[in-house]
Amino acid sequence: MIELQQITKLFFAGTPNEVKAIDNINFKAKRGHFVTIIGSNGAGKSTLLKAITGVVPVDSGSIKLEGTDVTNLPEHKRAREIGRIDQDPMASTAGEMTIEENLAMAYLRGQKRGLSCAVNRKRTERFAEVLKDLGLGLENRLEVPVGTLSGGQRQALALVMATIARPKLLLLDEHTAALDPKAAGLVMSITRRLVESHGLTTLMITHNMEQALKYGNRLIMMHRGKIILDISEEEKKKLSVPDLIAKFTASSGSAFNDDRVLLA
Amino acid sequence: MESVIISGLQQGLIYGFMALGVLLTFELLGFPDLSVEGTFPLGAAVTARAVVEGVDPLAAVFMGAVAGGIAGAATGIMHTKLKVNNILAGILTATAIYTVMLRTMGRPNTPLLAYDNVFGQVLGWFGQAESQASIILILAVIVMAARVLMGWFLSTDLGLAVRATGSNERMIRALGVSTDTTKMLALIISNFLVGLSGALACQAQGFADVGMGMGVLVAAIASVIIGQTLFGKSKLSIVLTGVILGSIVYRAVLATALRVGLPAEDFKMITAVLVLLALTLPNIALKGRVDSLMPGLLKGINGNNAKSGYRPESVADMGRQEVDR
Repeated sequence: MIELQQITKLFFAGTPNEVKAIDNINFKAKRGHFVTIIGSNGAGKSTLLKAITGVVPVDSGSIKLEGTDVTNLPEHKRAREIGRIDQDPMASTAGEMTIEENLAMAYLRGQKRGLSCAVNRKRTERFAEVLKDLGLGLENRLEVPVGTLSGGQRQALALVMATIARPKLLLLDEHTAALDPKAAGLVMSITRRLVESHGLTTLMITHNMEQALKYGNRLIMMHRGKIILDISEEEKKKLSVPDLIAKFTASSGSAFNDDRVLLA
Repeated sequence: MESVIISGLQQGLIYGFMALGVLLTFELLGFPDLSVEGTFPLGAAVTARAVVEGVDPLAAVFMGAVAGGIAGAATGIMHTKLKVNNILAGILTATAIYTVMLRTMGRPNTPLLAYDNVFGQVLGWFGQAESQASIILILAVIVMAARVLMGWFLSTDLGLAVRATGSNERMIRALGVSTDTTKMLALIISNFLVGLSGALACQAQGFADVGMGMGVLVAAIASVIIGQTLFGKSKLSIVLTGVILGSIVYRAVLATALRVGLPAEDFKMITAVLVLLALTLPNIALKGRVDSLMPGLLKGINGNNAKSGYRPESVADMGRQEVDR
């Protein structure tokens, strides 16, 4: 469960360029909920996820993860409970290191790292097992540097890395945006499978309206640092992309202006 | 010819420790640590003072290496805690070390020929006399031990975190690692090895001098590049052994230059040209031409750069079993 209370974040505070990236947001997602987040450019979606991970410190408000206040914890201390993947396929894996080395690092998410051998047989057996579920044949290529994989393969591996240590929260920031449609579809189906099998609380930003409607059991829409729409699973099922655009225009009083948004 | 080989081996092995240290910071951690220009002579200065004070040579060499490690920690604290730029932090440490050396030795230069050295001491345990060959043998054994230890460390959970700090800092932080800690650790290990290198150098040449750190960094970088150019960089184990061999090759080339009569004042220019050639030759001259005639021939030498391994155009090929490298 993730709970945000009155979170506010200003950029360039006190200057003429001051931006309210997050404006007094209250939000709560129950354990196992898969929430999709959409919104126009500069709505504060990514800042919101960065505030939760601790990359961006908030100005005020509190962040609770499974009941524990993590507002003032540094990023690396929150990491034990939070798995995350960014848009850039290079960002969530270490390209110079092998698949098994990447997995070994993720395996110890948030734990103390000592001088025992990182890649041992017990671990590689486990890695091969989880990779096999992806159906990409990566289990036969454990000793290959991740830099030689395609973007889609890297994001699929990143998903396994984000979930292998069973975090309490999974944050996805447009993790399929840099992929072609085929790879994006594959990564999304892997996402759904992993989220459901682990019962993970998940927040997923997407600029793909159809994806936002198709996946997850709740949809929120952000505009200028605020949550302007919160749509439940039942309501979401009945919506089409044009309905969603119409709702946005009605709630925000402005046209939907994401230059990358996919309406189809 | 024989003197070239002996000189190349002895010098190359001594500076091989430093090359290993520089590989750790510059290449694996992505931290251009300039403090090594100071920690190398610091290792020598501390060892010299200790030997003069009557400390057992082996203990004195160890003290020199530890001094290097402490200086590395100083650079680390400046960078991680005080948020000083990494290059500047190294320069500040190297500058401050100059005073530390003068204070340690009490003067800019300490001759050590009148004292027992570490090689004679260790060889004495085995009942061997000190000779060029026996010194090289000892050096080879301990440099290989350092190489093995380094290879082991870099394959542990902690070592992986250090490498990931250089490869993808954001990712390893997201996995719960304090990159301040991994950077500190790598700087300490690296400068310990550099200090050890300086300590052994003063023992081999019979004196310590505050100026002996000048140009050692470029020599170490040359060793790393030569190692990777000649032996490849596809696997970490190859890279680790490669830098030591690269250091030997580099010193042998310098010894050859001296042997054919090039004046000593030209050494720095030769060094710079050598590094430039090692860096660019495989890319321009060889690779371009040979690849057009026989594609793939030079892959083992310079083509398998994992850093450029990500190919956005192949995103569509998800699920392929083989990668055509």
